Amino acid sequence: MVESRWFRRAGPGVVALGALALVASATLAAGERPWVPPPCAGDAITGPIRAGSGAWFRIDPKLESGERRGQRLVVGVAGRVRSRAIGLDSESFAAGPFGGRILVGTDDGLASRLSLLDPAAGCAATIGTASDVIRRATLSPAGDAVLEFRVDRRTRADLGVWRRSLRDPGDVRRLLPPIRPDGRFGPTWSTEFAWSHDGAALAVQSCGEAACRSRVVDLRDGSVRDIADPELGELVGLDREHLVVRSACRGLPCPLYAVAIADGRRTSLGDAGAATVTADAAGRAWAVFERDASGGLRSVRLDGSAATDLPPDPSGLRLIAPASRSGSGTDLAPGWIVTGPDGRLLLDGPVGPRARRVPDGLTVPFEEVSR
Amino acid sequence: MITFQVRARLAAALLAVAAGAFVVPVAAAHGPDPVLSGGLFAQSQSLEFRWRAGAEPPAAIRTAIRAAADDIGTTRASKAATFVYDSAGANPIGYGAGATCGVNGLACFTRSAPSGFTLWLREQGHAFDWGTLRWCQMYTTAPNGCYDAETISLDEFGHVEILNHHVNYSDDRDYDDAVVQTFSRTKPGTGWNMHVLGRCDVATLQREYDVLSWTTDYSTCLDIDTVLTLSASPASIAADASTTLTAALKVVDRDTYERLGGNPVSSRIVKLQRRSVGATTWVAVGTMSAGASGTYSLAVRLARSSEFRAIFSTPADEGLNGDTSPTVTVSVSGCTDPCPLSAGR
Repeated sequence: MVESRWFRRAGPGVVALGALALVASATLAAGERPWVPPPCAGDAITGPIRAGSGAWFRIDPKLESGERRGQRLVVGVAGRVRSRAIGLDSESFAAGPFGGRILVGTDDGLASRLSLLDPAAGCAATIGTASDVIRRATLSPAGDAVLEFRVDRRTRADLGVWRRSLRDPGDVRRLLPPIRPDGRFGPTWSTEFAWSHDGAALAVQSCGEAACRSRVVDLRDGSVRDIADPELGELVGLDREHLVVRSACRGLPCPLYAVAIADGRRTSLGDAGAATVTADAAGRAWAVFERDASGGLRSVRLDGSAATDLPPDPSGLRLIAPASRSGSGTDLAPGWIVTGPDGRLLLDGPVGPRARRVPDGLTVPFEEVSR
Repeated sequence: MITFQVRARLAAALLAVAAGAFVVPVAAAHGPDPVLSGGLFAQSQSLEFRWRAGAEPPAAIRTAIRAAADDIGTTRASKAATFVYDSAGANPIGYGAGATCGVNGLACFTRSAPSGFTLWLREQGHAFDWGTLRWCQMYTTAPNGCYDAETISLDEFGHVEILNHHVNYSDDRDYDDAVVQTFSRTKPGTGWNMHVLGRCDVATLQREYDVLSWTTDYSTCLDIDTVLTLSASPASIAADASTTLTAALKVVDRDTYERLGGNPVSSRIVKLQRRSVGATTWVAVGTMSAGASGTYSLAVRLARSSEFRAIFSTPADEGLNGDTSPTVTVSVSGCTDPCPLSAGR
């Protein structure tokens, strides 16, 4: 993750409000006091932002009689800030953390609202609203824009990917058109964003019920590459040259591939359980995945080289996948991955998550990794 | 818990992928379901499942999942694993919160044959790009556009067994041939509430786990050759004595038939035909009595030497191909043909 000064440059586009407090606290557990973050202001969240803040989140549906009534977002900073819970609407998401900030979207049925949460500073800032449904969003690496995937509120038709400037609230432009209908993929079930670790490439993945296709935007020249192979499924991560994707499986284990963005050529990385992509201190991307039933890990460069195996966690913790699968996100220093009970970020359980460094396997408590 | 053994026939394809070839194992349309990588459960292994703590499905969904488990048991027609609810079961089934499914789909699973599995269903109200998930079971009167939780659970149990998504004809006219489908259908689409395994699901389960017994019908989604043999005991008799013709019907023993290869095939209709030595026209003798382990027999009295063959005609209601046995000659001694008292025997 590149350094970013997004908030400092945000200017008038950012309207600091305690927006998340507007969401009904009924989506939290009984007796749980909702956190009402005050508006971010002044120097509270300005300054250089570096990866490795230790910020984290976990989002879960809140059910009543088996029906989703909202979502519960819990945020914190490893070793520094205890968890805080926020209630969100049923249609909501969290993304990041981006250098310590968590991008939150929530839709009350009338409008979608985007906010940035800073768990360390203990504040939030509303950065935009839309009458369309904002299904997913991400921050640009420079921190000067939010990219949003929207659908029509009534028809749920794909409206494409939009770029919202944080400097100029009136500067909202479409970055990508709606994805073309393709019977091989069927209706789109989910759309997710993923950045290469150097911030040079953005993948926008649209998944049907089983198979997925990706549009990869090279921010250096604006070019867009389509990877539309119905044998491929969920995106795990990417670097400038490769997407790491699963086969179009509904379950695990599932074959994992590195797909060359330039020509679609595949390299098999192995059958994988949970999987993620991280970058080492030198900026080289690694795919990390569970290679066996015991949770043993394998790290491998995206060209298939330098495969290194790590033993399973002695406590039985499992690799935590990206937010789209695990419902959780962490902002750790390059080269670190997180393991947790059942592959989930659970900080109040009997066994806490751990951070492991690849490829050498150094393991420390999650709370210590960012210190 | 996940198992990672790559099956031999998949390995070659994966190696090809690793080498850069654009090769993916693909099943022909309308054939038996393809299979997932990973191992098999033991034959007829009982897999006890429980509700995952903190993610227990609501009552209506629990009922649907248990019904789907029963559907597997009653329609597998094979020695595939069975699924049984047990509050202390080793295999958790969760709902909604904490589901570690990917970004799409209604449900997901992990399989670690032969030790176990996990399964998750999305929660009612889960928001997808296309709209909001509705389970039919959550309504007194299921609305159009809902998904049937029993059908989807049956699909997931099929995955846990080993089944991959069925490859349909391009126009999906064979959608009902499998419940394990890439694209799920909502009410009232065809197949939206399948509560039985489809014949092409069963075909793969039979191939991978074997048929339930030698009398079990082979799925019509299979195309299995049989071999029929015939013997006479005794092979030489005196005039007007009896001999017993015994046929044995088996599945041809081919590697591609996996567990089905060499199976005895019992309780089918096998007919015996006879002709005089030197004649060309076969005459029906009768239907042979079915015995154990794919054998069929019929005793005949003979006055003159005769040739026999057994015939298993291709049945219309299962996936076996018929066969005709080689000819067996029974020698009759003690009179000169034509024997005066043989009168056609």
